[in-house]
Amino acid sequence: MILTEIIPATIVPFPSDNTRREEGAELIFNGRVRGTEHDKDILFLDYEHYEGMAEQELRTLANETAGKFPIQDLFCRHRIGRIAIGETSLHVVIWSRHRKEGIEAMTYFIRELKKRVPIWKWAVLVSGERVPSECVHQD
Amino acid sequence: MRITVKCFSQVRYALEKDELSLELGPGKDTKDVEDLVREHANKKLDGVLLRTAVNRVYIKEPQELKDGDEVAFIPPVQGG
Repeated sequence: MILTEIIPATIVPFPSDNTRREEGAELIFNGRVRGTEHDKDILFLDYEHYEGMAEQELRTLANETAGKFPIQDLFCRHRIGRIAIGETSLHVVIWSRHRKEGIEAMTYFIRELKKRVPIWKWAVLVSGERVPSECVHQD
Repeated sequence: MRITVKCFSQVRYALEKDELSLELGPGKDTKDVEDLVREHANKKLDGVLLRTAVNRVYIKEPQELKDGDEVAFIPPVQGG
């Protein structure tokens, strides 16, 4: 099962599930807002998205991930709007029979999300200045 | 024909608009509109890689536009 959402409110995690009998791996990823950007303290991050397209791209990516890796379920909630330091901006849960495919699927899904889902973030610094958030990734 | 250009992130910052409504002559394509957007950005988008979406779908090559199309020039995304 695939479930993807982009929401403007605090992320409520998907519940853990103790009833499953065939999936031995439950992977949970929470992306949280760091307190600094460009080595400067921030007040919060402000996320915006291309409504309609971002939802579609996220759904397409989730389905693609489930087709590429033998996983059972992929649930994703991405928050938009103002998000305070320490709060969750991205929550992903993947269920799979074994850990290997689940970890690979999680890595692929998040890497591709950061490449193609039209969501952007601005950091609002303590000074009040608004700067594009800068995230450097190795893959 | 009339098209809408949706502006996000650096494009919105550069143009100071959420969207543009443009009247175009026949035969114009997405590259023509991107050139126009970059020109209006007054160098603020110089060096910024923009992907193009038409009606909320990424395209890889310039596409001829039709009346009512929604175009977006998408700067590097930063989800997560």
